[in-house]
Amino acid sequence: MTRRATGGLIDRATPLHFTFDGRALSGFAGDTLASALVANGVRLIGRSFKYHRPRGILTAGSEEPNALVTLRTGAAAEPNTRATTVELFDGLAARSQNRWPSLRFDALAVNQLFAPLFVAGFYYKTFMWPAAFWEKLYEPLIRRAAGLGALSMEPDPDAYDHAHAFCDLLVIGGGPAGLAAALTAGRAGLRVVLANDDPRAGGRLLAENAVVDDVPGHEWAGTAIAELAGMANVRVLARTAVIGVYDGCEYAAVERVADHLPSPVSGQPRQRLWKIVATRAILATGATERPLVFGGNDRPGVMTASAVSTYVNRFAALPGRRAVVTTTSDSGWQTALDLVKAGVTVVAIVDPRRIAPTHHAVTTLIRSGTEIMLGARISDVFGSPVRKVEVVKSNGQVRRLACDLVAMAGGWNPAIGLGGHLGARPQWSAEKHCFLLDEAPPGLAAAGAAAGKFSLGKALADGVAQAVEVCAALGRDCPPPHFAGHDEPADGTPFWHNATPLAMRGKAFVDFQHDVTDSDVALAAREGFTSVEHMKRYTTLGMATDQGRLSQLNGHALLAAATGRAIAEVGTILSRAPWQPVAIGVMAGAHRGAHFRPERRTAGHDWAAEQGATFVDAGLWKRAQWFARPGESDWLETVNREVTMTRQGVGICDVSTLGKIDLMGPDAAVLLDRLYINTMSTLPIGKARYGVMLREDGFVMDDGTVTRLGDEHFYVTTTTANAARVMQHLDFARQVLWPELDVQACSVTENWSTYAVAGPRSRALLAAALPGCDVADAALPYMAATTLRWNGGPLRLARLSFSGELAYEVSVPAQHGDVLVRHLFATGRAFDVVPYGTEALGVMRIEKGHPAGNELNGTTTAADLGLGRMMSRKKDYVGRTMAGREGLTDPARPALVGLVPVDRTSRIRAGGHLLPPGAAATAASDEGYVTSAAYSPTLGHPIALALLANGPSRHGEHVIVHDPVRGADVEAQVCPPVFLDPEGTRLRG
Amino acid sequence: MAEPLILHPVDRPGIATVMARKGVAPGTLNAALGLSLPDGPGAAFAGSRTAIATGPGTWLVLDDHAGADFAGRLAETLAGIAAVSDQSGSYLVHALSGPAARALLQRGLAIDLHPDAFGPGSAAISQIAHIGAVLWQVDDAPTYRIAVWRSYAESFRHWVEVTAVSLDEADQGG
Repeated sequence: MTRRATGGLIDRATPLHFTFDGRALSGFAGDTLASALVANGVRLIGRSFKYHRPRGILTAGSEEPNALVTLRTGAAAEPNTRATTVELFDGLAARSQNRWPSLRFDALAVNQLFAPLFVAGFYYKTFMWPAAFWEKLYEPLIRRAAGLGALSMEPDPDAYDHAHAFCDLLVIGGGPAGLAAALTAGRAGLRVVLANDDPRAGGRLLAENAVVDDVPGHEWAGTAIAELAGMANVRVLARTAVIGVYDGCEYAAVERVADHLPSPVSGQPRQRLWKIVATRAILATGATERPLVFGGNDRPGVMTASAVSTYVNRFAALPGRRAVVTTTSDSGWQTALDLVKAGVTVVAIVDPRRIAPTHHAVTTLIRSGTEIMLGARISDVFGSPVRKVEVVKSNGQVRRLACDLVAMAGGWNPAIGLGGHLGARPQWSAEKHCFLLDEAPPGLAAAGAAAGKFSLGKALADGVAQAVEVCAALGRDCPPPHFAGHDEPADGTPFWHNATPLAMRGKAFVDFQHDVTDSDVALAAREGFTSVEHMKRYTTLGMATDQGRLSQLNGHALLAAATGRAIAEVGTILSRAPWQPVAIGVMAGAHRGAHFRPERRTAGHDWAAEQGATFVDAGLWKRAQWFARPGESDWLETVNREVTMTRQGVGICDVSTLGKIDLMGPDAAVLLDRLYINTMSTLPIGKARYGVMLREDGFVMDDGTVTRLGDEHFYVTTTTANAARVMQHLDFARQVLWPELDVQACSVTENWSTYAVAGPRSRALLAAALPGCDVADAALPYMAATTLRWNGGPLRLARLSFSGELAYEVSVPAQHGDVLVRHLFATGRAFDVVPYGTEALGVMRIEKGHPAGNELNGTTTAADLGLGRMMSRKKDYVGRTMAGREGLTDPARPALVGLVPVDRTSRIRAGGHLLPPGAAATAASDEGYVTSAAYSPTLGHPIALALLANGPSRHGEHVIVHDPVRGADVEAQVCPPVFLDPEGTRLRG
Repeated sequence: MAEPLILHPVDRPGIATVMARKGVAPGTLNAALGLSLPDGPGAAFAGSRTAIATGPGTWLVLDDHAGADFAGRLAETLAGIAAVSDQSGSYLVHALSGPAARALLQRGLAIDLHPDAFGPGSAAISQIAHIGAVLWQVDDAPTYRIAVWRSYAESFRHWVEVTAVSLDEADQGG
């Protein structure tokens, strides 16, 4: 154990037990998995992505590239979890990744020996040819060798949800600047949301021995967060990472509701996706410490200095006993002091700069036996974990120092990734030696370390100042509070590369997670990938889960050096959402599986389900596809029965999903004439007419019926699929094209439950079901409509037929829909009524040659569908002019025909292409295709509808239906599309 | 302690879409409707009757104590000045109240319901968890009413169930 006896923000009274690779370990409440591993002396955590090099813990934050583990087990297993962000809980089980057969002995580490092969652009160069080798050989090989954790391949057992929040000010980050800003704005009465990635507020104050307002920093943070939590106008979201910035001042954030628990509380989600709309936002995400690029900088035992201070101070866990600190910034010296204070031997402090930041630091370190090595640099690290380092001193002398910990401090990168989400590139600050936001998304401003204000006092003051600015902008009076913090030395001089003349120097890593080295960047530059975006993609630097938060700037600096440019000139890449890795599940929220999208059910749904309906998706609607009866062996037998019983007796189909529109007003008839290709204004009251409307480009948009209910009242139906589109079209026409018309329209799709009652016995059934209603042919002839009272409300009865039989559509307000269908079937039992579904509906309409969705497919004209004679020559209508284009009136265009297999048994499949007999199966011979196909139980053989070039003039000819995907060619005879009762005697019966 | 969440269906209110004829000002309809129509986004109340503006010159009019053929009678009253469509079958209307009501809605609704932004008489035509909804606030309790298309009722009910159990004490502050 390397746990200190006292100190740290852990609860020693609450020990927690966990396992890592099956080994039983323990930690305390307040630990992360990483800190608990440090406290247990576990130094080897995983293997690297490409070279399978042993890796330890590099950082103490969400930027961790190395310590990725698979958390939990079974279906709940989550690969690639950063140990530095996992709060320890009792019973936690974690496994190392990317090692085979074990972490300590990794057979694939041999990849290192082939390292020259695995250089930048390796995949592009090596596996180019032959292409077939990709799938069979290269890809499986690469996937086994590279890659990180593996998915469980089981459904995610956890729940996720979504929530929305609105505020005047979103504060992103709960460190000193964020707390100062939230307190300032909260006290001024603004609606504030404070999103803090850490479970505990304080940020760097938790990791350092700082003082604010004369109390220890973490205590000040605790008081501050308690005050904020008590304000009614402030919402504190702990464990919440803002991951994206979007237009309209919208922010996405993920709250880890239950990740710190063994399993979520019953009913609670594991994570919640927040959409936060914030008038203003303050980016107080702090800064990320840069690693230094030197040989062996990835070896277990090399850590960022800030991580070392975090483990020592916050978690009271010592990552080593003998440390070497290498730093180019003043903050590294503080880490050395933290180590000395914790009783760790600091062998040396190696600073390429030639001046130490403070006299106090130097004297304290010398007194504790630390060698001060100014103007020096580390050239190599040995051991795994670290055993010693090689230092090149300012005079060129090489020293080897025994140690088990290397703390590296390369300066600070403001964590401004979110600031680039809307496309603005950060600008290089020569003064601060980092990229800063130049042009932030509207409403967002950085504060504190994220704005380059690195010292504590400046960060606190900046948080206040930014909040005061927000208050002023929103017209709120805001007396600025003062939070007293010390301005510690916070300078630094970047030292981008420890280039050394020593030939035996080990690999120096820039991107730890993707195993990109300094020489890869140099190679990219030599090969011409000199733009940062090209270099990123060629080397994959910055494309790992940390999005280059550690590596990017070092890579850019090396690219600048290799190409003789300044960093400002090279620039930096654009960060993209999500700023941190996000579980797919939280994006889906509750919308997964059967609830992926909402479903629409008709009023007769439950009744249909009781009848054993199999449902099919029609958009969001659930429609009964067929109603199987016991003993039926397959769906075709069921559908054949439904068709036959309907054609010989009576069947009922729920057609409530058709779009329905009420169109009213003195100019309603005028509008209909302008929308339909045929004339509607001549329709008498109480009559219905079939109509077709075109798009502006002259192709058919939709078809349906129009019923005139009154002088100024029409009832329009559409296909199920086009209900919304036709409504839009109609609204566009009356609001935009012809606003002068006095016409009103609204969708009443939901208001009416409609049942088609079809078959020779339909009249008898309705006469029995609706006593008092005269359904005789004289009173209600074909295409007539009437309204009566039923069950306390209106009932609309229209004599319309899609099946080709004597048929009616019966509609009632949807609250009566269930009652009506039960009533019709109760009455219909005497008539042997059968429920039929969409399959039987489809078979019957194909038998009758009615075009439907397959034919109204956006590429057909009215003439193509045999409806050319409906196109009025006496009036103008939408699409008329464009429908007259040469290409749309060409008689050779594929037009609707029927097909019958010559042998009367072969199945014709929709999608098959039509070729002249004997022609080669080439695109040049293609004469059309099959749109709809079915087995006709009425005729006793397969039939199909097709679009065939010159089709109407080719009845009687033979064609080949070519279906290379699903089966052999079928010879078919062309015939008229109406297979059954072309005279229409049945429907007029 | 009151129940954190009270949700119940409104029993068969009469519902109709009322669309003013061209050139007819909203005020012209007030007398016939017995309430002052909102001329812009919002809801108006009078007795058992509510009108929600759903578009320019368009309102959803609801009556909790409508007798039979509410829309038909409304059409007669408004003959010549407005078109009326029966929507009694189109919507299921829910009344939602309790300290957690606002938190529940904000789980699925991307419209700010804070009292400063949305109060009694406010209305929104939006989506809750991808389900189209007409929502308006009745009183300060707060009590909301939510009308969703009847066909979506089962999906809406499911969303309410799974979301309601995920609410915790922090969600009861309103």
